[in-house]
Amino acid sequence: MRRAPSWPRHAIMVVVSFLMLVPFYWVLKTSLTGENIYAFPPHIVPIDPHLFHYVDVWYLIPFPRYLLNSVIVTTMAICGNLLFNTAAGYALTKQFPGRRWVVLLFLSCMLIPFQATIIPAYLITSWLGVLNSYLGIALPLLSTIICIFIFKASFEAVPRSLIDAARVDGLSEWRIIVRIMLPLSKSAIATNVILTFIWSWNAFLWPLIVIRTPEMQTLPLGLARFLSVMEDTTGALFAFVVMVLIPGLTIFLMAQKEFIRGLTSGATKG
Amino acid sequence: MSWRRIFGHRFVAVPLAVAFLVAGWNIYIAFNNGGIIEGEVRDRAGAPVPGATVIFFERNFIYYQELRRTTTDASGAFRFDGMQVHVGQLEARTEDGSHSERRQLRLWFRAQDTEVAPLIVATPRG
Repeated sequence: MRRAPSWPRHAIMVVVSFLMLVPFYWVLKTSLTGENIYAFPPHIVPIDPHLFHYVDVWYLIPFPRYLLNSVIVTTMAICGNLLFNTAAGYALTKQFPGRRWVVLLFLSCMLIPFQATIIPAYLITSWLGVLNSYLGIALPLLSTIICIFIFKASFEAVPRSLIDAARVDGLSEWRIIVRIMLPLSKSAIATNVILTFIWSWNAFLWPLIVIRTPEMQTLPLGLARFLSVMEDTTGALFAFVVMVLIPGLTIFLMAQKEFIRGLTSGATKG
Repeated sequence: MSWRRIFGHRFVAVPLAVAFLVAGWNIYIAFNNGGIIEGEVRDRAGAPVPGATVIFFERNFIYYQELRRTTTDASGAFRFDGMQVHVGQLEARTEDGSHSERRQLRLWFRAQDTEVAPLIVATPRG
């Protein structure tokens, strides 16, 4: 039987990829030229490109401070996620009374949009006394349900006999997680790290609510502030967008193999 | 695990490469951030213009405002020291009322030492 030629599929993929990349190209091009985005006819190829808009962003707003804040908050969110999601995911692989209800509760909580829980979340954060602090910004992202299920699926794929053998050797539950489960769940860890990074890095609404001083602002808030205080800075604005995007894109490109593997394994082993 | 394998891993190599680039750039900045902006003022015939006033305009949010001014020496040279700016405009004015076009100045970092191309005053001097 003759196989169908693969070029039509590749041609479609090239066209779709091109369409997906056009906005990124346009942002990059505008950051290099400062061209008015409403200019007609638009220039496909950048005219007189330069990097000075990036220099402007660095100095016109406290970009290093925003970057540092974002890095601190994201690091806290990733560490919290790894700790709490691992523990929760491991607990859900155990049999205990009400386990089914806990899983159902988690699943039903995923249906509630974050916007609906903002007021209670704010009150809890205020009650804890961590408003306008890094911990307060990272608090809602310290554990995410979808990542708990990714860990659960990954842990359930580990042979039961391996855990029993570790227990016979005298390992505590935490050491079983650290020594046995986590080394066998690298894809789940990578997925967790990347998802948490993306969510935390791009978080806007929650930081907008809990942050009260400009020096605590993260990059997305800095972008909003940038828009509100600057005029005629199309190039700098797009340069700022690129500078916000670069860390996330770099991490995704570095870990995309683990990311895709983690998502697909989570989808099939549950 | 060998060192080559550790340093060759993308999760180590990429951050290290970025760290080296940032460190190298900052070292370069540390040796070139005296804030010196210097150049010359000439007339259209190419002769130096002594005694001309050179004004540096700093960019505000939406317009340019004068930050500092200096005067050219006998050879037509001018120099600003300790300029903590990364963008601005330069203009030369002579006593007879002529002036150069405003020269846009964009620097790669704040207080970068730079030598600008000669400012040409519009009116040829007699």
